[in-house]
Amino acid sequence: MNMLTPMVPYSLFLLAQTALTFSLSPSVSWPSHTDCVHANELCTADQSCSSRYRTLRQCLAGRDRDTLLSSQECKNAMEVLQESPLYLCRCRRGMKKELQCLQVYWGIHAGLTEGDEFYETSPYEPVTSRLSDIFRLASINSGSEPVSSKHNACLDAAKFCNVNDACKRLRSTYISTCNTGGGEGENCARRKCHRALRTFIERIPADLSYPLLFCPCRDQPCAERRRQTAVPECSFKRPEMPNCMEIWANCRQDPVCRSRLSDFITNCQSSPQSVSGCIRDNYAACLGAYAGLIGFDVALNFLDSDPHSISIGPWCSCNGSGDQETWCERYLKEFTQNRCLRNAILAFGNGTDVVHRQSVTSAPRTTITPKVEASNVLPDNQSDSNILPEVDPGICTSFQEIKNSSTPELRICVSESQHNVPNLRTDEESHSGTQQLQASILYITFTLVFRLSMS
Amino acid sequence: ARMKRARVRKQPCTLKELEVSVSELGLGYVSDETVLFRYCSGTCEAAVRNYDLSLQSIRGKKKIKKEKVRARPCCRPTEYDDDVSFLDSKNHYHTIKEVSAKDCGCV
Repeated sequence: MNMLTPMVPYSLFLLAQTALTFSLSPSVSWPSHTDCVHANELCTADQSCSSRYRTLRQCLAGRDRDTLLSSQECKNAMEVLQESPLYLCRCRRGMKKELQCLQVYWGIHAGLTEGDEFYETSPYEPVTSRLSDIFRLASINSGSEPVSSKHNACLDAAKFCNVNDACKRLRSTYISTCNTGGGEGENCARRKCHRALRTFIERIPADLSYPLLFCPCRDQPCAERRRQTAVPECSFKRPEMPNCMEIWANCRQDPVCRSRLSDFITNCQSSPQSVSGCIRDNYAACLGAYAGLIGFDVALNFLDSDPHSISIGPWCSCNGSGDQETWCERYLKEFTQNRCLRNAILAFGNGTDVVHRQSVTSAPRTTITPKVEASNVLPDNQSDSNILPEVDPGICTSFQEIKNSSTPELRICVSESQHNVPNLRTDEESHSGTQQLQASILYITFTLVFRLSMS
Repeated sequence: ARMKRARVRKQPCTLKELEVSVSELGLGYVSDETVLFRYCSGTCEAAVRNYDLSLQSIRGKKKIKKEKVRARPCCRPTEYDDDVSFLDSKNHYHTIKEVSAKDCGCV
């Protein structure tokens, strides 16, 4: 445990990276996330806010960013609203009035996405829970099961759901709904099936649902069970393979689907610089975003029952994309070749995690630390929690690439089980591990210098 | 041992539960999935009514001979648990209704 004592540069790197993610937001101090339903009420009560909000909605009605930016009136409305709670508001998954909240959010943000519509920012509050918490709960549930070769984690997951009344009831509801009809093609009630699946995911706590979705498997029966968790014959597969660009565009028509999709893109975005593989270094957030897609046409699923590979994808292809094909292929890779998601699933299986630690206070002070803190762009509850990879003694490697003695060391740790999984790291990475680390350090340094010069 | 047996016999009708595999239910399904089986167990002495006493008496006087009658209340489910769904060994989903008790009573 004392291996987890402060490792400053890495945490700073993450802080800096998170800060950069939020750097598009105006530099007002971040209020603890107001939900958009409440923010809407606040704005309605304020005369200047409500009139600007009305104006902005008219400006955005044309869904044309250019008109918005060219008209002075629209520009003014935008400027005022950027300082109102409406602009920074977020929603919570499964909250009361989630739809209403998301409608308010997209009402403001829909037309404002700069550049690529695919990479929209999630309207949901950042996930603060940790994978290790979920895992610990799940392990307590499972007691001390003997780990034999016949051990089937997915079967255990089903058991723990079955002996819990709420889990059993909602699981049975979605299974029976999705399983009726049964024949070929669209013989099942797909919409009802999706609704039942969403209810299951929203109401059942992660320590019961994640083991069903992400159970680690060593043999084919286990992996087949895992593949079947969301009754893919009904909820996932369709008689035809639709075009991905089409299903994503359809999804964006629905505020909830659009939010879940952008939540996945935001929280499962891979990063070659990050040890975890995730740009946000939060496995729980990525798994939550994956689960949030279940019950929508854009959902992902395990594509086969090979226990040794994690092949995941949506039920769509890039055929028939026309001139969009390059984009389609690029976007599709965010789902099918997602290192962050893959690592998150493996991490859930073996209980490793990206651990959040409060280490800023005990960290050796550098001139940089207070600056990053002072910028106050992070949500209150996250501003002082740093994210560190879990330390596995013996496999940790210390790097002191930078000669400057005032720079504390950067520690990179990969758990043994991750080493052994062939699919975890791409070939490119294993060839150039050290180079990557050097690049990371350069990136950290650069980022910090950049932030300093900006503030 | 006598004490223990006496106490067991005295236990009133209640809901009990057991973790069993789907195969063990004996319904013809083959699956290793574990389900919670709730059943009714216990005696119904407190629920004996004049009806039961009378029936016993009349039967004792051989006035009822050929019919099968039950002159004691019986501990049975008064309500069944929600459906149970599971994946069988051939990877098909099934749902079974009214397989587990939710509430018991002396009827």
